[in-house]
Amino acid sequence: MIPGKSQLRMSTASNLRFISQTALLLLLAPVLSHAADERGKWFDVEFPHDSPVVSVGFDFGPSTITSRGPSMVIDLHAAHTLRNVGTKPICGLTLRVEAQDLSPHGRGSVIKPSLFVLPGEEFPVKVDMQLVRPISAARSESAMVQVTIDCALFSDLKAYGPDKLNSKRTLMVYEMEARRDRQFLTRLLDGGRLPELREELNFGNQDFIPRQLGLELLTGPRTIPAREQALTVSPVNFPKGPVQPLGGAAQVAGNEVRAPRVDIRNVSKLHVVSVAMGWIVRDGHGTDFVAGALTSRLPIGPVQTSFISEAGTLRFSLPSGAPMVIDRLMTFVNDVEFADGTVWIPSRDDIEAATQDYILRRELATSPEEQRLASIYRREGTDGLKKELKRVSLSNSKPN
Amino acid sequence: MSTPAAEHPSIEILSLYATGDLPFVQRFRTSVHVRHCAACEQHVLTFQSTKAELRRESQGEVLTGYEAIADWQALEADMLGNIRVGVAASRCIENVGRRSRPGFRLAWGTGMAALFMAGWVARVPADESGRLISVLRRVVGLDQAPFNGTVLRSTRDGISVKARGATLTILHPESAVISMSGPASVTARYVDDDSGQVTITNVYGQ
Repeated sequence: MIPGKSQLRMSTASNLRFISQTALLLLLAPVLSHAADERGKWFDVEFPHDSPVVSVGFDFGPSTITSRGPSMVIDLHAAHTLRNVGTKPICGLTLRVEAQDLSPHGRGSVIKPSLFVLPGEEFPVKVDMQLVRPISAARSESAMVQVTIDCALFSDLKAYGPDKLNSKRTLMVYEMEARRDRQFLTRLLDGGRLPELREELNFGNQDFIPRQLGLELLTGPRTIPAREQALTVSPVNFPKGPVQPLGGAAQVAGNEVRAPRVDIRNVSKLHVVSVAMGWIVRDGHGTDFVAGALTSRLPIGPVQTSFISEAGTLRFSLPSGAPMVIDRLMTFVNDVEFADGTVWIPSRDDIEAATQDYILRRELATSPEEQRLASIYRREGTDGLKKELKRVSLSNSKPN
Repeated sequence: MSTPAAEHPSIEILSLYATGDLPFVQRFRTSVHVRHCAACEQHVLTFQSTKAELRRESQGEVLTGYEAIADWQALEADMLGNIRVGVAASRCIENVGRRSRPGFRLAWGTGMAALFMAGWVARVPADESGRLISVLRRVVGLDQAPFNGTVLRSTRDGISVKARGATLTILHPESAVISMSGPASVTARYVDDDSGQVTITNVYGQ
């Protein structure tokens, strides 16, 4: 291993468990002997030599390898300690997780938004994952699972990394939402609007979490269900948005949505390079779920109209696993990237004006940063929240 | 359209309907009802989802290995080979005894075929019929082999991507909020209790 690479360092207990599990697998499948000889090669963390973060600690925790039928199950619970060795504060980081058995068809990532790590500071990142692979599958020389940096976003919104997962854009959107929400909460605190603050942060209620749904995304050609029918997609407009949805349609059958298409218009004077369309799904009981946002690379000139369509099939279910009957589909512009590299996100006023539905407004405004600040408010109250907002404000004001 | 509760098929009938195990007449009657009854449709969707879930689980846990899949392909090839041998053999013997009482033989053959078809339609579940038709269509070249695309899924414990017989799952606590984050990616977001930081995990398919 080169110095930049962080090899696994397991605790004694984990080591013993690992060895016993490996021995079991050796009995089950002689083909594994090669893997056992090179057990250090099945997981690897690698950062380039010029990376702004390096791994300074690693705990393998309760990781195990077991066999299940003809498959090997690797349960990995890795806790890294990373250090900012660059010169700028880091406000977001994406680690790419790749398994050689799935490449190039599938991979994963772990994103840490809202970090505010100053140069020299350390921070934890956990990777909890499971890999199920055929015991008999061939192996290459590289590790079975590799973790590496995809993108680090600094407080001046500049980025480092290969950005294979379009992480820079994602981290920028999270950071802008974070700044918007911190500004909003600071305004409430400074103005003494504590009842509004309490309401915004769910009254410190631990049980409150945004509405959950189950998702399945199928790519590749499929048989079209016989009962499929077209459903109109209703636009939710943010009045000051630079891109406006005009409407659209999707094919729906039960809990499946296929081939959604939305017409959009660039109403700004800037060239747009990509648009993320947010989707809201209403179930048979009239409950709305924000299903997420799909980003499309789509150059649109000023005052031009275009459309976004998606391949693949989406299947929705309730948290219980029961299929969700889709009654209505709505779409909104979640964020827009312009040719000059800037990104637009809806302001709090935009969200307020977009819908009369209080619950839906809350869902649209819930960002990762607000989720984090709500957790601090729950644990430490108004004083803790003030302290955190001040800390972040100071971190961001440090010269880059 | 609402239907009086007394007219609803029993839950057993609905479960058999959902899995395609009802005989033709009963299946037709149930399908007419389900098409117009939201409550029964919901039951059927639940049964189908559960069945699909179990099938996926069993594929993920047992048949993920290339060996298992390879065995199935060998078995399937063997079956198709036997069908071809049968067809070739019937061609070889079709000229034998052609001159003896052709009218009687034709009537007898048609009658037997009609009886077989009636029995098949009344007794064999649609699922099985569909599978056989699919195999026969592939034998004569009307259908292509099923495409195994990439599947992204959220479960209570994690989000996973399954491709090429392997599955990568990034785990999360039950409180995680699941959403789409791209045309081929699923996201889970949660606050880590230990660090107080937000963690966002993604899986991507191609």
